[in-house]
Amino acid sequence: MEFRPILSAMLRNKTGVFLVGLQIALTLAVVANAVFIIMQRVEKIGRPPGIDSANLIFAQSYGFGPNYDHRDTVRRDVDMLRAIPGVVAVTALNGIPMSGGGRQSGYTIEPPTPQPNPTTSNIYFVDEHGVDALGVKLIEGRAFTEAEIQYNENPTNSDFAPSVIITQAVAQQMFGDGPALGKPIYDNLGQSAIVIGVIENMLGAWVGFDQPSNVMLQPRLSNGPTIRYAIRTEPGRRDQLVPEVEKKLAESNLNRAVTWVRPHTYWVERSYRADSRMVAFLSVIVSLMVLVTALGIVGLASFHVSVRTKQIGTRRAVGARRIDIIRYFMIENWLLTTGGVALGLVLAFAFGHWLSSTYSLPRLEPLYPVAGVVLLWILGQIAVFVPARRAAAIPPAIATRTV
Amino acid sequence: MFNYYVRLALKSLRRTPVVAALMIGAIALGVGVCITTLTVYRLMSGNPIEHRNDVLRAVTLDNWDPNQPWDDRRPELPPYELTYRDAMALFESDIPSRQVMMRKGPFVVESDPALGVKPFLVEARLTTKDFFSIFDVPFEYGGGWDAAADQGAQRVVVLSKETNDKIFGGQDSVGKNVRLDGKDYNVIGVLAEWTPTPKFYDLNNGSFDGIEEAFVPFNIGQIDQVQPGGNVNCWRTQPLNSFQDFLESDCVWIQYWVELKGRDKVEAYQSFIDSYVQEQKKLGRFERPLNNKLRTPEEWLEINRVVASDNSVLVGLSFMFLAVCLLNMIGLLLAKFLGSAPLVGLRRALGATRQTIFNQHLVEVGVIGIAGGVLGIGLAGLGLLGVRQLYENYDTLTRLDVTMSLTALVIAIASGVLAGLYPTWRVCRVQPAAYLKTQ
Amino acid sequence: MLHMQNISKVFRTELIETHALRDFNLHVKEGEFVAVTGPSGSGKTTFLNIAGLLETFNSGTYQLDGQDVSRLSDDDRSRIRNQKIGFIFQSFNLIPDLDLFDNVDVPLRYRGFNAAERKKRITESLELVGLASRMKHIPAQLSGGQQQRVAIARALAGTPRFLLADEPTGNLDSLMARQVVDLLEDINRRGTTIVMVTHDPELARRAHRNVHVMDGQVTDLQPFAAKPLIRPEAVAAGV
Ligand SMILES: Nc1ncnc2c1ncn2[C@@H]1O[C@H](COP(=O)(O)OP(=O)(O)O)[C@@H](O)[C@H]1O
Ligand SMILES: [Mg+2]
Repeated sequence: MEFRPILSAMLRNKTGVFLVGLQIALTLAVVANAVFIIMQRVEKIGRPPGIDSANLIFAQSYGFGPNYDHRDTVRRDVDMLRAIPGVVAVTALNGIPMSGGGRQSGYTIEPPTPQPNPTTSNIYFVDEHGVDALGVKLIEGRAFTEAEIQYNENPTNSDFAPSVIITQAVAQQMFGDGPALGKPIYDNLGQSAIVIGVIENMLGAWVGFDQPSNVMLQPRLSNGPTIRYAIRTEPGRRDQLVPEVEKKLAESNLNRAVTWVRPHTYWVERSYRADSRMVAFLSVIVSLMVLVTALGIVGLASFHVSVRTKQIGTRRAVGARRIDIIRYFMIENWLLTTGGVALGLVLAFAFGHWLSSTYSLPRLEPLYPVAGVVLLWILGQIAVFVPARRAAAIPPAIATRTV
Repeated sequence: MFNYYVRLALKSLRRTPVVAALMIGAIALGVGVCITTLTVYRLMSGNPIEHRNDVLRAVTLDNWDPNQPWDDRRPELPPYELTYRDAMALFESDIPSRQVMMRKGPFVVESDPALGVKPFLVEARLTTKDFFSIFDVPFEYGGGWDAAADQGAQRVVVLSKETNDKIFGGQDSVGKNVRLDGKDYNVIGVLAEWTPTPKFYDLNNGSFDGIEEAFVPFNIGQIDQVQPGGNVNCWRTQPLNSFQDFLESDCVWIQYWVELKGRDKVEAYQSFIDSYVQEQKKLGRFERPLNNKLRTPEEWLEINRVVASDNSVLVGLSFMFLAVCLLNMIGLLLAKFLGSAPLVGLRRALGATRQTIFNQHLVEVGVIGIAGGVLGIGLAGLGLLGVRQLYENYDTLTRLDVTMSLTALVIAIASGVLAGLYPTWRVCRVQPAAYLKTQ
Repeated sequence: MLHMQNISKVFRTELIETHALRDFNLHVKEGEFVAVTGPSGSGKTTFLNIAGLLETFNSGTYQLDGQDVSRLSDDDRSRIRNQKIGFIFQSFNLIPDLDLFDNVDVPLRYRGFNAAERKKRITESLELVGLASRMKHIPAQLSGGQQQRVAIARALAGTPRFLLADEPTGNLDSLMARQVVDLLEDINRRGTTIVMVTHDPELARRAHRNVHVMDGQVTDLQPFAAKPLIRPEAVAAGV
């Protein structure tokens, strides 16, 4: 069997061929780009958070009234929380990683006058239990000591702790491949701090941030009246401890409101919701598109089989085996798909280019359209197989029956 | 005759039930997906203050870093918010018929212990009095406050419906007291249900979050040193060691809206803010080129990219999906119509005119379009049910309304007929003799 | 060449059983030109289908070219049809989407000949039927008689030993019908065994032998000719 006669028979029905080809081309363009976006989002959602997200509870307390003593409240809260059975470690802190809200600032390795291109980093104020309570992995240096923890009654932006712990990402960006430990870094007012520890990874406040792992821990108790606690539990005890923590905090001090107590996954889920949604939407569109295209191929091929009954009988009569008939339809489909995907590749890249320039999405990687081509080839062959088998079952004696 | 065509169409569709099902299913799926994403898009891109679009303007001044624009990707934009000192200065103008400066802040609410409601934290809006009138905010009980309350930072509060339900069980609480951060405030108004979506007046902190839970006069924030509840953005390296430092800083955190009735007013106000900034430039502030913008709510929503690009991409992809469904349908229809060409040849030989054949097939196409559209509305309903799982808090807004249902039907029939035109035209060209000759 | 012994064929539908052939016996010798006649519905086409391996039968034995064909697989039957048998149908059965060249090419493709061989055969057989000049035309551009000649070219291109024709002139007027039969005679003279079903006594008379079928059986009664009519040319050719 060769292509030419099949091709020339196809070209007698140019419009039909063009329609299916265009359909396949569009499908390729959409599927390649959609799957590309899906994979990126899935990858984003699947990034390790760096902290022990699954076993973390966060709580927020807001003090009010003249009798509220911030420092004392925090000290008592932390002691009380640490004493709860099942709690591994607790730190007071100023924000919740991956929650969509947080604090960030720029730092440099030289004092500013002003320095260009500071390294922007999320900042978390934690206490001496910070590393343990968040469950981040210290790969160099040490955690904070109790003596290092700073506190300033007045809210100000000009405090800078004498020691900081940074993520590998920050270390890499500021110091390149050189050592970070023991080196000073400077804030935008020219105050310095020494890097005393490097942690492997930790995602900051904004999951969509360009440098999501630029995070710095500073040994500080943030000013009131808002304070948050990170409470790390033994595996499996988190859900049971949420109400207990809430109850104990609420009972312990009347000069504050316990705003909320929630597992960390609450924010993870919330922050990635837009991405999960996109994944869900796109998956549905891609599946439906593949389904419609496959059904279209089945439908059209079935039609051709019924229109060509006599012709197929004749082919059988003049010596075509069943497999020859099946092969005819499969080759026909393969030619059609190949024409379609050739156009589709162009469309896919054009569409990808448009998406990336209009919505500043990343550029489409060629792997996706290429995989799409293979998928459509296989899909087409599977889809056409059913009608092709029906065609092969047409008895050769049809040929002698007058219409 | 029309009835006859419809009968013929149904008969023709029944003759090839699988192909008919495929065509109707394809249209229905295409329309269903499009309507679903369009509904979400519309929800995201709605302008809840459309009726005041002409007269409202969001005010923005470019006081940002001379070395770096506010938004690297869109350097032409000034910051979204104002500094406290600029807001105070603009408030002196009497060009706007009404104007509002405002921001968010947290408060703990305590009520009469007899009511048994535990203290809880609310997001309050600290605002000048015109907020309620300028944005057409509906009241259930009472109303807003007056200029005197603004001036004197009187401790009055307007509660959201939700907060009033929580503390007072939904009763008329006007005249009663609540404690905010340990101080007594007099309730002077309770809002009716109000869910501007998106929350156009402050898009910086959760465009699709609900409104604030309480509203108090703006000046209370300075007197009680209420922490800013929303984003604060600073660029100048200046030590901020006190609340006063913060108020005088170049940090932006105040939202500012004006009501300007008529072109003259808009022009007058534009030149007012421009000359204000020129004055400030002499004092060494506003080092960037003059770039002060007054935006209508519609422009404001657009600039703030409320419709996440994801939604636009989805709408685009849905329509490409619809295109695929239609191509699919055209292909099937063409095969079907041409498959019945001998029959058409016979009809023509028996005296049918080209027009009759055209009408007959167009009716068939229309039937497919209507069936696809109706089914598509059903699918869109299902789709939105699924969407509701994805979008918490939006359930009231992901309903399929009459407009969208009609849109669905129009899209379905229009696309069905459009898709059917070519195959119909092709079948009309069948010569009476063509298929009678051979076989 | 073709030996059918006690062949019977039953068609079963939900409603009725039709005994299309019963105890059907026929022997065709190599080089013969046999015309099969009989009333409509008597089983002529059924016989031809079985003879041409288009259809299976229920009982009896059938030897084609010395080979028992009752137990062959579907693929083997296809191969034999392809190599040994040529078919001519009443309604020509050309493939409308292919031009004449490609139509004649169809069985050759399945035969697996190389391109040069196919081209040679196609050209030769189209020349034989006098249509080589219209090679690039599609069937719709030809008259019925021309179409049937293309069908004959297609049947001949594979140089079959055995040509089966089912009412090859049924859709043609008498002039064209005569042309087609002239062609068949010519082919037969070159050595191809031909079995032709027809209900036209005039044409049947031009075969070496007439077989009359009635109710699915070969009858002795031969209404058109008491004995096979031997044409002088055939004798001269030494058949
Ligand atoms: N596929 C079939 N199914 C049922 N009956 C058939 C079939 N093919 C032929 N017949 C019946 O077998 C008988 C012989 O038919 P056929 O061989 O076509 O007759 P003819 O001599 O006219 O060619 C007829 O009664 C016909 O109705
Ligand atoms: Mg017959």
